[in-house]
Amino acid sequence: MAVKVETLKQVGTQQPGKPGSYYVGTFLRYLLLALIGLILFMPFILAALGTFKTDAEIISFPPKLFPQEWHVENWARVWNTDLGNGGTFPRWLFNTAFLAVTVAVLEVIFCSMAAYAFARMEFPGRDAVFNFMLATMMIPGAVTLIPAYVLMTKLHLINSFGSLILPGAVSAGSIFLLTQFFKSIPKDLEEAAVIDGAKHSEIYREVIIPLARPALLTVFILQFQAMWNAFLQPLLYLNSADKYVLNVALSIFQQQFKAQWNLTLVGAMFNAIPVMILFFIFSKYYIEGVAYTGIKG
Amino acid sequence: MTTYETSSTQSNRNLAAILTFLVIVIVLMVIALLNAPTMGGPKVMASASTYLQEVRRTALPFLGAVAVLAIALGMSAARMVYREWPYPKRRLNLIMGYAFLAPYLLITLTFTVGVVLFAFYISFNNYDIFTPPQWAGLSNYAKAFQGKDFLQSLYNVLWYTLIVVPTQTTIAILLAVLLNSSINFKQFFRTIFYAPSVTSSVVITLIFIWFYLKTGYINFFLAKFFGVFGLHWQNINWLGDPRGLIQLIVQAFGGDIPSKQWYFRGPSIAWMSIMFQNIFTTAPTFMIMFLAALQDINPTLYEAASIDGANGWQQFRNITLPLLRPIILLVVVLGTIGTLQVFDQVYLATSGGPLGTSLTPVFIVFREALGSQGPIRMGYASGLAFILAVLIFFFTFLQRRFISNETQLY
Repeated sequence: MAVKVETLKQVGTQQPGKPGSYYVGTFLRYLLLALIGLILFMPFILAALGTFKTDAEIISFPPKLFPQEWHVENWARVWNTDLGNGGTFPRWLFNTAFLAVTVAVLEVIFCSMAAYAFARMEFPGRDAVFNFMLATMMIPGAVTLIPAYVLMTKLHLINSFGSLILPGAVSAGSIFLLTQFFKSIPKDLEEAAVIDGAKHSEIYREVIIPLARPALLTVFILQFQAMWNAFLQPLLYLNSADKYVLNVALSIFQQQFKAQWNLTLVGAMFNAIPVMILFFIFSKYYIEGVAYTGIKG
Repeated sequence: MTTYETSSTQSNRNLAAILTFLVIVIVLMVIALLNAPTMGGPKVMASASTYLQEVRRTALPFLGAVAVLAIALGMSAARMVYREWPYPKRRLNLIMGYAFLAPYLLITLTFTVGVVLFAFYISFNNYDIFTPPQWAGLSNYAKAFQGKDFLQSLYNVLWYTLIVVPTQTTIAILLAVLLNSSINFKQFFRTIFYAPSVTSSVVITLIFIWFYLKTGYINFFLAKFFGVFGLHWQNINWLGDPRGLIQLIVQAFGGDIPSKQWYFRGPSIAWMSIMFQNIFTTAPTFMIMFLAALQDINPTLYEAASIDGANGWQQFRNITLPLLRPIILLVVVLGTIGTLQVFDQVYLATSGGPLGTSLTPVFIVFREALGSQGPIRMGYASGLAFILAVLIFFFTFLQRRFISNETQLY
């Protein structure tokens, strides 16, 4: 007991006076944080600077941090590339954005419907379907890769956006996230609605959806990002230049430009900047979504 | 509840049950038909009738098996409807419930369950889309372990998981603890730390390929670093270097490991370069998960511990770590599932080389299914995918057992 009182005193005396070591410690901590942030951002900083270098400069050794001259025209060169068959940069940007928005919107609609049923309705078979959904989350993507491709050929969806939109319109992860969120909404609100004689479709539309806006936004953003960053499926399904998404176009770029890393890096920047901007605007929703589910594109 | 006896509701009830049965069986059979194992190609796919002809020729056993399942499911659903029908409120709940679930169920049954059934069937066949599937028994599974490629891919990916998962988990915890300490601008640093992780793996991989060039920044930094000590750094072609970790150690002592004994060489320099990149990009994601968990820990626990004289490390060891265990389990499981299926980095950076030291199961599945190296072998590829799936289940199960057992110690 006596020891405890003593340490309590020590703790107490440390607070108001704040010795010099406290400031040194705090300073070191911020220095460390800044350093880690810099290291994590280093690839983007170096790549962004690299986009302004000449073809020769970009692979010369030793590499310099800044370009000798700022070749802004590299960005225009990439923007104006034409792979033929309508394969141009604006087109790929549009394709990617279109797919990402479409899939994200469908996810929000269909997944919130399913989540409402799981979280708020009582009917036989509900828990069985929920467990079935959890089980499907265990199936690795590698297993569905080939048969999904065969199915797409049968549905004549190869080289069409339907091949990415249809299977992407729901996902177990999003339903799970929304189910958890809907369950946390107090039931009183809805009971008031039931007394009013509202049906489930009305409770869903008028009570749950407005209250769940943050969670819906989280799903939208995570799915937008997942589709924007998807690579394996688009690579498999989309095979004409006018249908490519940015990721697929980039991988073709890299093979075509070979040593012209400055141009490949411009392509990478075009791909990275929109998602980064979106992230900085909605970082709160992003981070909450990842924290809850561990889903990441 | 009151209108139980009238005959009109009784006939409605029967009708509803029969309709349920029919709808379920028809929907499931259409899904099965779409996923029927037949040959593809323009001739068969010309119209619905040519396709159905082909189904009749080769896929009847598959449809028969699915039909048994569909009828069983339809019957139990019909019984459910029959039971609920007389009670208006429960009836409405049942109909509305499945109406809300319908989009999800239709899509998942078609694009997940249907295709998995197809893949499972096809893994026992030789199949290349352009000819009808030919029954091959277990030969696809046997073949997987006869050649070197798949075994080497498993070997690679096990090293990958063994090194990447513990490293990224540790770094993620440390970053999270650092961010959770009493600092200002917590949100700001969290955002900055996580931002690089939102970009696509294609972008990150391309940037890293450039870093790893013989004339790239990694060699440059190492040369600078060793230069400080007056040492000379020999530039390495990181992504093209097949020398293994264990092989390098043996070479340092003047020996060598012949390529016949590749399985003693350990992960190659190329492979470890990809590991480094993966850790770099995944650790911040898991950091976010740990940070959320840390913020849920009651701060009075730390106050009580510091009053008892526990220092920072003891607090971390005895309070933070035990309370983080559920999240650690989740992160380790997610990390393992992810690392066992690594693809993008390999496809872009190395295509499985050098000397197969960066081959991964998913890369081989992709290669065999598309026939980008040799003939299209979809049956074989499906077999490999199922072996990988079993491996993933096994590891998940093991980790769950292992980590939750440990929890009981506390």
